[in-house]
Amino acid sequence: MEQVIANGLYLGAQYALIALGLTLIFGLMNVLNFAHGQMYVLGGFITYAVYSQLGLPFFMAVLASGVSLAIIGAFMERFLFRTVIKRSHREESTMLLAAATAFFFDAVALLVFGEKQRGVPKIVKGVFNDFGVILPYDRILVGLLAAVFIIGFILFMKYSKPGRAMRALAQDRVAAQLMGVEVDRYTMVGFALGAMLAGLAGGLLVAITGVNSGIGGPISIKAFMMIMIGGAGVVGGAIAGGFILGMMESVGLTVLREYGDVTYLAIFAALMVFLAIRPNGLMGKPWG
Amino acid sequence: MAEILQIKGLTKRFGGLTAVNDVGFSVHEKEIVSVIGPNGAGKSTLFKLIASFLRPTSGEVLFRGEKISGRAPHIAARKGIVRTFQETTIFKNMTVRDNVVIAHQLRSRASLLGFFLGTKLAREDEKAFGRSADEIIDFLGLASTASETAKNLPHGYLRALGIAIGLATNPTILLLDEPFAGMNHDETMKAVSMVRRLRERGLTVLLVEHDMSAVMKISDRIVVLNFGEKIAEGSPQEIQQNPKVIEAYLGIEDDAIGY
Amino acid sequence: MTKPSKLLAVAVFLIAVFILIPAIISATGRKDLYYTLTSVALLSIASAGVWLTFFIGRINIGQGAYALMGGYVSAILVMTYGVSFWWTLPIAGIFCALASILIGWPILRLRGVYFAMVTLVLTEVTRLAALALPITSGAKGITSIPLPGPLTIFGLTLIPDFAVMGNVRIAFYYLAAVLMTLCFAGMYRLVNSRIGKICQSLQQNEELASSIGVNIVSLRLIAYSISSFLGGISGAVFVAATQSVYPSSFTVTDSVNFMLNCFLGGLGYVFGPMLGTLVLYFGWNLLFETGKFQLLIYSSCMIVLMLVLPNGLLSLAALLKKKNHG
Repeated sequence: MEQVIANGLYLGAQYALIALGLTLIFGLMNVLNFAHGQMYVLGGFITYAVYSQLGLPFFMAVLASGVSLAIIGAFMERFLFRTVIKRSHREESTMLLAAATAFFFDAVALLVFGEKQRGVPKIVKGVFNDFGVILPYDRILVGLLAAVFIIGFILFMKYSKPGRAMRALAQDRVAAQLMGVEVDRYTMVGFALGAMLAGLAGGLLVAITGVNSGIGGPISIKAFMMIMIGGAGVVGGAIAGGFILGMMESVGLTVLREYGDVTYLAIFAALMVFLAIRPNGLMGKPWG
Repeated sequence: MAEILQIKGLTKRFGGLTAVNDVGFSVHEKEIVSVIGPNGAGKSTLFKLIASFLRPTSGEVLFRGEKISGRAPHIAARKGIVRTFQETTIFKNMTVRDNVVIAHQLRSRASLLGFFLGTKLAREDEKAFGRSADEIIDFLGLASTASETAKNLPHGYLRALGIAIGLATNPTILLLDEPFAGMNHDETMKAVSMVRRLRERGLTVLLVEHDMSAVMKISDRIVVLNFGEKIAEGSPQEIQQNPKVIEAYLGIEDDAIGY
Repeated sequence: MTKPSKLLAVAVFLIAVFILIPAIISATGRKDLYYTLTSVALLSIASAGVWLTFFIGRINIGQGAYALMGGYVSAILVMTYGVSFWWTLPIAGIFCALASILIGWPILRLRGVYFAMVTLVLTEVTRLAALALPITSGAKGITSIPLPGPLTIFGLTLIPDFAVMGNVRIAFYYLAAVLMTLCFAGMYRLVNSRIGKICQSLQQNEELASSIGVNIVSLRLIAYSISSFLGGISGAVFVAATQSVYPSSFTVTDSVNFMLNCFLGGLGYVFGPMLGTLVLYFGWNLLFETGKFQLLIYSSCMIVLMLVLPNGLLSLAALLKKKNHG
């Protein structure tokens, strides 16, 4: 029981990191970043390259992932999304662009890193074995790092100037503009930040589960499910969604393993019913 | 004249806020009734409740004795209670004429399938709608703009279009939401006579307004709301002399000056 | 377009699809193209359904679920109950329509991303149901489905038994082409009739549409059920052509592709899904020659296309018109 909770917690922290990035982008731009999973994958690969191939310290490798993805995200917003949003008649057109970028990143990952599963050597050896919980130290470290990043993100959004600007934008674009917030700049910053979070999450998790170029799509879907549960566009919702999904997976893996596919079927069906009752998730902002 | 609309004990609460509190009055056929009150008095909410766009917390709205409140909004429209909107709400990307033609939907005798297949009944309907739309457009002075795209219309015409859309449904009661807002004196006088002509067409009109002179000129009866409650009801003369009404409005004036 | 030019366009289209293409194929001997084009036609029908959902203002990433459902219904009826394929076609469609009404009732009031996400989940749920339920034979699917038999009405053989035909591919091609033509003809009629205008009113202003008496809930359900009907039919014919169906026959990727086909063709145009499917499917296949760069080039082209024509390919026609007039 404690084991399940412990597993759920560290998984939840990772997932929350992914969900936060996605919800930030959605809150700022009303765009569902289809490529979020692929950004996660790229983050994992970059950390792999920097840590295993170049031999630099793990923390630096993870930061490298974050920074690279931030740059990529900024680029994407500035040159791709901004153009399409300005010129298309329907808001949903950005979905095609997002999907195309997802495929693009999939292709790049495949070409550059190949199909093989990549992992990194253990960053911390040893296992914590107490209170009925068995948890390798590296998972604890990764979970803690994720928590640190999450807290850092929340503080940044709450107290820094860019953070407040972005929150104003997410709440009411027009009002924010009238108050002098530079919409273009902070939208770009927001997208970059969202991408960075995905990259950081990927970098962290490659140390535990490894990464291969095919998991981008499924990760994206998981991320979508998280913000469906917790609610899109709201920080609390993303964290809640992330932890809930982490817990559900942890429970599912241990408790329901014998029952196979029917259990996932039941979970999905329950999710659909849940959404029918609470369409905006637990705390989400309504669309449009 | 017979009572066709009865509002009984209508209350609407949003969480902790009571927007409308136990409001009741009746409207008779072919009457022009105005609902007035200071800002935030609950007039908009009341309107939405009557047209069934909001569900009352308690109380009911009866139209010709039949309960309307609590049912889907399109049902109220089908029964004959049609509202126009405060914001300039029209179908932006359609032409003016198309806006009015599409609004005739309630009058269609053919089914959706009939319209898809282009049956004789459907084609007759379409012809009738076209003629009716042209007549309504003329009635409201929109003829010169009939083929303009609605979103390009100048502001003054947008409100007329909103009313045209309402008329197209062949309503019994038309709920006009601030029809004189933002108009200068001449425009207001023209709008006042237009509302009178609506009554001549056989309509009953319920309107929400701020413009006192227009309201006093046009209304048969006036209902006054303040803080979600009805504080007075009567003819324009009665209302003008009602101390509670004067206090409600004067109180607001004082606030505005800063007392 | 004026009426005569419209008729001309229709004539050109029919000749191209039913006469020209088979002629070209037999001349060049590229018989494999029949399968490709049949796929394009069937996928465009499913995409048309998704387009219709867009028309009532919803983002539908769940069409794969209904294609799968339709495929299984047809397969099960043919294999287990010996029903003629031709009967299973409308039954599959109607089954999907009814299922979609059940599913749509609670979820159609969701908007935007929320509706999209639920439909995404729907595709997965259907796949899992196919894996788990006994009637669908689980992971091994249903295979060796016989080809469609003859279609006889009152003793008249309208369509001969596929099994005795020399070239089955041509038969499926014609079947798919006919269904596609009927589908888009119906869609065109729908969009240009009063129903189309009502749906547009729904898209532009829900409250106003309500106030003129449009039953929004019911209209959405009708549109969604038609959309799912199309998905079911598409799936059923697909399964008949490939003579097998698996839980993985239609996945989330397919659902996403149906949606992409609509976007690429242009959400504002009835024939958008047809063009979009053609371009995306053919584009993908053509790029096969580039080997491992296939996905990279494909996605790069898509990105460039979105930057240049964000409103879809068919918006090019509108842009050209503006240039000529302005």
